[in-house]
Amino acid sequence: MIDFVQNTVDGMMFGSSYALLAIGFTIIFGVMRRINLSFGATIMLGAYIGTWLHVHHQVSVWIVALTTLASTVLVGIYVERLCFHAIRRSAVLASMVSSFVIWMQLEEAAIHLLPERTYAFPALLAAGSFELGPFLFRAEQTSMLILAMIIVGVLHVLLYRTRFGLALRAVSENSLAAAYMGINAAWVTLCAFALVSLMGGVAGYAILSTDAQITPFFGLWATFKGLIAMMLGGMGSLPGAILGGLLLGVVEAHALWYLGNEYKDLSAYLLLFGMLVLRPGGLMGQRILSREALAFRRV
Amino acid sequence: MDDYVITVLSNIGMISFIALSAYLLLLTGEISFGQQAYFGLSAYAAGAATAMFQLPIWAGILVGACVAGIIAMVVGALTLQLSGLYFSVATLAFAEMARLILLIVEIQVEVDGEMVGPEGANGFHGIRWMFERDISLTEFMLLIYGLLALTVIFLLLVERSRLGSVLRMLGSDDLLAEMQGLNTVRYRILAVGAAGVIAGVGGALYAHFTTYVEPQFFNVMLGVHALAYGLIGGLGTAFGPLIGVAIDVGFLEAIRFIQGYRMIVFGGLVAILLIFMPRGILDEERVHRLKAVFSRRNHARA
Repeated sequence: MIDFVQNTVDGMMFGSSYALLAIGFTIIFGVMRRINLSFGATIMLGAYIGTWLHVHHQVSVWIVALTTLASTVLVGIYVERLCFHAIRRSAVLASMVSSFVIWMQLEEAAIHLLPERTYAFPALLAAGSFELGPFLFRAEQTSMLILAMIIVGVLHVLLYRTRFGLALRAVSENSLAAAYMGINAAWVTLCAFALVSLMGGVAGYAILSTDAQITPFFGLWATFKGLIAMMLGGMGSLPGAILGGLLLGVVEAHALWYLGNEYKDLSAYLLLFGMLVLRPGGLMGQRILSREALAFRRV
Repeated sequence: MDDYVITVLSNIGMISFIALSAYLLLLTGEISFGQQAYFGLSAYAAGAATAMFQLPIWAGILVGACVAGIIAMVVGALTLQLSGLYFSVATLAFAEMARLILLIVEIQVEVDGEMVGPEGANGFHGIRWMFERDISLTEFMLLIYGLLALTVIFLLLVERSRLGSVLRMLGSDDLLAEMQGLNTVRYRILAVGAAGVIAGVGGALYAHFTTYVEPQFFNVMLGVHALAYGLIGGLGTAFGPLIGVAIDVGFLEAIRFIQGYRMIVFGGLVAILLIFMPRGILDEERVHRLKAVFSRRNHARA
């Protein structure tokens, strides 16, 4: 029983990093109705630039953190201009494939920067652990869960209490109507992309400093964990992204403990496939639009 | 031709099957991230048929294609109500499940005093049909291109027929298609199954060409590449995906001298191409115009 609870706690801690990645996907999808496959690679290149400074110029941890965030935002803007702004809105597939080839491009750029397989990643906080009753908590993972909650709080205020948030929600609801109201949709989209990249940079920094290392597989990992967590929670829903991330973390932790390492990812994909077949809208999303609803909407 | 050129050409041929498979689904408006699963499952099934049960290769290809087609239809039936990103992610989840299961499966039988069969993460060794019968690389390449030509002819015939219009109609507006009295469920399962069979033929050939398959080869990168081929080459005709494969494999081989910077150059070029041609080089409009040019020339001659 204690094992079960401890696993659940561990899973939720780890799941908070999935949740952070899922939030990025959900906002981009909400605003653009398109998917950005290079999200993970964007964060990875940003973190690689930060690590490069650390490895070659021995700068302080704070500068590494700031460089990581700034370069993630710049790379994010590059992706937005090339793969989303330049391609017309209806060409969903072209944007997706474009963001995929740019993923490959960013990954190769990152590997050129630091060609070895792993590098140590500097952490802001020292690692440690504390006990609460019979349960063990790792300090850096606990701080990640708290960080995820803070980011969600800030995002909530930004989206529901500011003019920018109103504009962003208007664009995601109906970009044409938003344009008629005098909202510059292209500008809002660019800002949303920069915001999400910033958030992705924070998430990436937190995850990498928990792992204490960075490898070229980070881009793929981040993209897929974020995508799975978003789909589990329901596309376009902020609380859903968090729930989805936590659920994914908990399921993976239990599968790892009870079934073994080779079943960890398998259980995650089984959960996702089952969810999509039985309840396509995810935990929090609206039920998937039925054909009747689609027909009515068109009338 | 030396072995290197033959190997590159054979790879282009085998990868073309999975590109055509993704293309067939793109026609019906669905983006699949999971066609590599059928390629991989068929490679295992076909390899098992010839290496473990000593069947001839045509039976191996048939078994592989059938296994892939049937599984694809089951997945298609389960995901019937999904569309757009939901369908893409569901196919991705299925493909990763299939790959991870193949990483665990270990079934081995004794053939001529040796253990053969899938061996989990170590892959499936000893699919030696080609060597046991002294088939040269060139002969096998001809087999690959023969089957590829049959597949392309089949797809071109489908596109000229009523079925082709129905599939494209599902792609542009499935609600409207249903209002025309079309059984959209049946056509969609048919398309998904046929796409599975096409990917399966490629996988069966792949297993026998390399004599060795491992689950790691059928990862999601293969599936996304397959999609990208159709989109680079163009969605207007079945030749589109073939052009996409030739550009990718051929171009990457051609720019070997900038080793290490290939993806930076290639990725940038493709991204720019997609800005100007969002439905690929040979998109519907250009194919139509080309056809018009050709038919006018024929009229002039007559």
